[in-house]
Amino acid sequence: MADPIGAIDPAGLRARAAVLRAVRRTLDDRGYLEVPTPALVPSPAMEEFLHPVSAGGGFLRTSPEFALKRVLAAGLGRIYEIGPCFRDRERGDWHGREFTMLEWYRVGASLPDLMDEVEGVVAAAAAAVGATVPAWRRVTVRDLFRDVLGIDLAEAAASDLSDHDEPWDDAFARRWVTDIEPSLTGAVFVTDWPASQAALARVRTDGDWPVAGRFEAYLHGVELANAFHELGDPAEQRRRFLSANAARVAAGEAPHPVDEALVDAVGRMPPTCGIAVGLDRLVAALCGWPGIGPGRVEPG
Amino acid sequence: MYQISDIRKGLKVEIDGAPYNVTEFQFVKPGKGQAFTRTKLKNLITGAVLERTFKINESLAPADVHSATMQYMYADGDGFNFMNLETFDQISISAAAIGDTSNWLVEQMEVEVMFYKDRPVNIDLPNFVELEITYCEPGMKGNTATGATKLATVSTGAQIAVPLFIEQGEWLKIDTRTGEYVERVKK
Repeated sequence: MADPIGAIDPAGLRARAAVLRAVRRTLDDRGYLEVPTPALVPSPAMEEFLHPVSAGGGFLRTSPEFALKRVLAAGLGRIYEIGPCFRDRERGDWHGREFTMLEWYRVGASLPDLMDEVEGVVAAAAAAVGATVPAWRRVTVRDLFRDVLGIDLAEAAASDLSDHDEPWDDAFARRWVTDIEPSLTGAVFVTDWPASQAALARVRTDGDWPVAGRFEAYLHGVELANAFHELGDPAEQRRRFLSANAARVAAGEAPHPVDEALVDAVGRMPPTCGIAVGLDRLVAALCGWPGIGPGRVEPG
Repeated sequence: MYQISDIRKGLKVEIDGAPYNVTEFQFVKPGKGQAFTRTKLKNLITGAVLERTFKINESLAPADVHSATMQYMYADGDGFNFMNLETFDQISISAAAIGDTSNWLVEQMEVEVMFYKDRPVNIDLPNFVELEITYCEPGMKGNTATGATKLATVSTGAQIAVPLFIEQGEWLKIDTRTGEYVERVKK
């Protein structure tokens, strides 16, 4: 066992606090309201690969997203929350079962608007710890696969992506973690994800292949954040919930309760873009740590 | 079988008919996708390094490996001979299997012999060995300039880089993992 006191890094915790202050100040200055929502919730997540921790007859949230969308529907147009979230079966240098999520939502913004805002927030956080951030690059998933592997995703079958017999999305993910992610250096926004991985984002069908209105922010190879042009169609929201539950059941997992309050909120909130940032990762990537550990106090 | 979620450093696994040691692993979960574990694996026979990515619900077979502490006795035309100090069993391991490790092998040294499917395939030496210099150019007194080295031959016949002030007949402590000079020792 590691020494639970010796494992605490005072300098790391100071860096974390500096980043937290800078993030709050930046969002406050931009007119965002900090809104705390419950950590103990009746419905923990929609997406198939999120595994919640059960607690007190409900679940610990995997993200504050569902509750924050109710706040958007109630009429607040710029909101953020910083707080603990929980994802079971995630453990490693860059993962903790419990971690700190920063989410913010901005009514009326576009995804490029949000990218600009991420650049501002990350720059402020970097300044707080004396780090500099390289110039941000914006690239589509399809262009990354073309550049790195010479594969056109719009044409590629699962068997073109993976030598394992597996569904297209798994084959895509295998190539992503094996070849694409390790090629991401500097500061990068990766846009236009496959429509099948839209999660809670709108799908755009105006191009020559359908893509999710989604981007991910990477800093020094670390996946920092995921942003959505938020889905605004309650019927589609319910359909995705049921489809994720069907996949869960097929994989031998328990279905998650459908969050009807979320479905209702999705139909009543104005067009919005929102982003979820792994705060522990942001601190670690800025400080050049080999993982999130130095900025955290572990359970012991 | 090992589940990928149970992967740890030092786990010995079988891949494509060869035994591997897990030297690095990293849990990754991209965007909205499946969880994977990226691994670096070292072939326990050839030493070659392999990078593989496994989906979290895949599994790996344990490699049929075990090791035994044995004493090095002597070399002959067939290879290097070792004796198990508990059972007094003797085995011969080919020079090919031992490779450059033989540079630091001295009689009566206790080593860990690794067996794959009951066949000896590799040996693990103590991290440090002390050997006498059988030949080197005379020492240059006062020359302690950092970094300057000359080649010295030690009693096993191996050559290593040593600082200029080292003399023939002196004993050296050598790191068997890197083949590098550590310090002089008094004998």
